[in-house]
Amino acid sequence: MIAGLVEILLFQGLGEIVSRFALTLIPGPVIGLILLLAWLQLRKRVPAQVELVASTLTRHLGLLFVPAAVGVVMFWPHLKSNALAVVAALVVSVVLTIAVSATVLRVLARRRRRES
Amino acid sequence: MNPDLPDIHEIWVYLSGSPLLALVLTLAAYQIGIVVSERLGRHPLANPVAIAVLLVAAAITAIDMPYPKYFEGAQFVHFLLGTATVALAVPIYHGLKELRGRVVPLFAALLAGGATSIVSAVGIARLLGADDSIVGGFYAKSVTAPIAMGVAERIHASPTLTAVFAVSTGILGAALGRFVLDAVGSKAWWQRGFALGIAAHGIGTARAFSVNEEAGRFSGLAMGLHGILGALLIPLFVR
Repeated sequence: MIAGLVEILLFQGLGEIVSRFALTLIPGPVIGLILLLAWLQLRKRVPAQVELVASTLTRHLGLLFVPAAVGVVMFWPHLKSNALAVVAALVVSVVLTIAVSATVLRVLARRRRRES
Repeated sequence: MNPDLPDIHEIWVYLSGSPLLALVLTLAAYQIGIVVSERLGRHPLANPVAIAVLLVAAAITAIDMPYPKYFEGAQFVHFLLGTATVALAVPIYHGLKELRGRVVPLFAALLAGGATSIVSAVGIARLLGADDSIVGGFYAKSVTAPIAMGVAERIHASPTLTAVFAVSTGILGAALGRFVLDAVGSKAWWQRGFALGIAAHGIGTARAFSVNEEAGRFSGLAMGLHGILGALLIPLFVR
């Protein structure tokens, strides 16, 4: 468990350093993610320890954004005065996104099948 | 009263000054959220994160704890978001073998879906007169929340608002996904899962897994790839 955590934290640290000094537009953890992904590709397998820590963290991902999301209490008056725009944008956008993504997949997958 | 024992008020002052209270509050609220969600048969609208957020918000309002004070204690949980983002490399690595032979449709769908998500949300919010701080929160909302918050910082939008919009988008996508997918005639499980993952990231993926294993795997892959792509592209276009 600890060895896996150390490995993931090392990649997080590496990502922060690269983000700070080279690729300032990309969040450090995302650079860490890409570096770890490249490392896994090189090794061609996931060490059991890393697998264990990763599955624990991703299973409880929801818990991790509670502290930030509670900040909604600070934005509450602001959100309320923009309620219609916020609700409409959220609902319509998610419906359109699913519809467009699914349609692109269906059309392109069918065309590929016909060609092959 | 026994003079050797501190009175209840002093205990309270001591407790509310340490991170313990905020931590216990956060973990307990999340645990209640999980139990409630399970009792309701994991109904997509009974999302454990939403329940936990409402409970904590109500609790800190009731005990008059300012949000920055709460966050000071809960930041240990918040810190792990970065670690969890790095750890997403593992499920993405497992998902990469699914890419074989489908690279073109999957990436075309990612780009089209990602662009639709941003343009429609920002456009509608602007059209209905939302102010700039609200609009800023919509750019990264279809990207998985931990990455979305990092992106929000880079584009000078509020990470909090972005997280709230991301979580709401996930809940809405998980709840409405099936009806939208049926309406556009999407049948193959891998396509349904991938489309849901693009729009509704982690919460959509959890939903997809509960319906079909193949849909879940593709949804997770879509979430991961959208996260990476969003982090790379959104800051380039929004500045």
